[in-house]
Amino acid sequence: MTAEQGTPIQGVTLYSFTRAFHAREYDLDQLIRKTATEGFGPGLEIIGFSSFRGFPEIDDHFAGRFSDLIDEVGLVRTSLAVNADIGLRPDKLMDQDELIAYMRRQIAAAAKLGFPIARVQISLTPDSMEALAPIAEEYGVTLALEVHADQYASHPRILALRDRYEQLGSPFLGFTMDWGATVSGFAPSLIEAYRRRGASEELLAAVVALWDEYYEQGPPADQADHGQRFGRFIGLGHQYGRPDLGIDFGINGTGLFGPARVDDWLEIMPWVRHAHGKFFGIDENGQEPSVPVSDLITLLVTNGYSGAVSSEYEGWHWNHWQSPFEIIRAEQAIQRTAAESAGSRMITDAAEARRAIDAHLSHAVRA
Amino acid sequence: MIPDRIIEQGTLRARGGRAAVEVRLPWYRALPASCIAAAKLTIDGAQAPAESLRWEMNGEEFTFADMKTNTAQWWFPTDSAVLSGDLAVDAGEHEVRVDLELYIPYIIIADDQVLHIEEHDTKTMSVRQDEEAYA
Repeated sequence: MTAEQGTPIQGVTLYSFTRAFHAREYDLDQLIRKTATEGFGPGLEIIGFSSFRGFPEIDDHFAGRFSDLIDEVGLVRTSLAVNADIGLRPDKLMDQDELIAYMRRQIAAAAKLGFPIARVQISLTPDSMEALAPIAEEYGVTLALEVHADQYASHPRILALRDRYEQLGSPFLGFTMDWGATVSGFAPSLIEAYRRRGASEELLAAVVALWDEYYEQGPPADQADHGQRFGRFIGLGHQYGRPDLGIDFGINGTGLFGPARVDDWLEIMPWVRHAHGKFFGIDENGQEPSVPVSDLITLLVTNGYSGAVSSEYEGWHWNHWQSPFEIIRAEQAIQRTAAESAGSRMITDAAEARRAIDAHLSHAVRA
Repeated sequence: MIPDRIIEQGTLRARGGRAAVEVRLPWYRALPASCIAAAKLTIDGAQAPAESLRWEMNGEEFTFADMKTNTAQWWFPTDSAVLSGDLAVDAGEHEVRVDLELYIPYIIIADDQVLHIEEHDTKTMSVRQDEEAYA
């Protein structure tokens, strides 16, 4: 436990606005300007393959223009989300050398676009992360592997990564905590979406009850346990005459709403370099009913975390009736209030955010 | 993920026994041609023969067999692709259904298996009879 309190940096990932971008309501420049104008920054996270045409190839002209825009609007680049596309050829998965070469191009793109962190994913093994460490160092980009439901901090795969990090002692390896691993309820807005698709109240109650049962049990012990849970969600669809919804219950019930407890993050806290403030909606009281946002911010503050929190609204998958911009604004207000209640604050000034992220990423975790 | 966006409303065209419709990616990030596994085009319940299907993307036309190994061409989330196939379509309103099978290349579900998703969309629209070739 660090004695000094943290001051997390407020920010957003443009993933939250996927529906608006996909609908061509906002192009990339417009979304960046909107993010700045609305005060959703200063932190800005972008998914390479979502927002940059031709990614990971980034030409000099584009990189220059992008940088100018970020400076003009006063945002701070935090994380570029990159993908370990091992199945780029689904008939012939990448071998380790191909994967490392594929990741190198994306790490180079992160550097060229000015992002200090590249968010990487669970399909990278400890051996892959070890092989990528010198590449990360070469480009000065920290690799923050995302801990996302159905995994969680104390999952054996995550602990194996942590142990390797500890052994390697590289300042360029760490984790992204995704709050979806520590959810406290099945999102009510998704229940409402199923209701609008004609699901019966009995079925919806059964889905919520099954999720609550898993919450009581805690997260799945391993992939077999995860598979079994997935199967039971599918079973509910059949049992209540809506087999078309079963897979959706399974995907969301296990892959979006992870039932670990907030303090599970302590297992990897010293290696957390970035956070996805994952959430699913805001209720009529201005609260996030299924993600313990305040507890998560308190955890970060009390553990001395002064890295970025990208608000990541995922309710857009199903919620087509509410504005994602209003929802982001409300979630960030909860974050700020929680940080203040914990005796600290969120950083909202760009210059201060730049200094904080430099300091946050500058030190290695030594065993 | 966003299957309601697959078919672009009002884009059904027909010419010389073939029909075409513009389609959007029902996913949040670009996917390479190699991950666009298959599609079906059905109009008023009649399905275009699989071997007649063509996929136009980034100004080039492909068969699904061509795409299987193509990792150079990418379907960007804001771009429309064009799915076409052998189907005779009369003037007037038609019910168009598109089924898509995609691979999600970063989600590995077993040692040698990539997540595979099936999405579909149905919309009703008038056809535009084209004098010009759309290919």
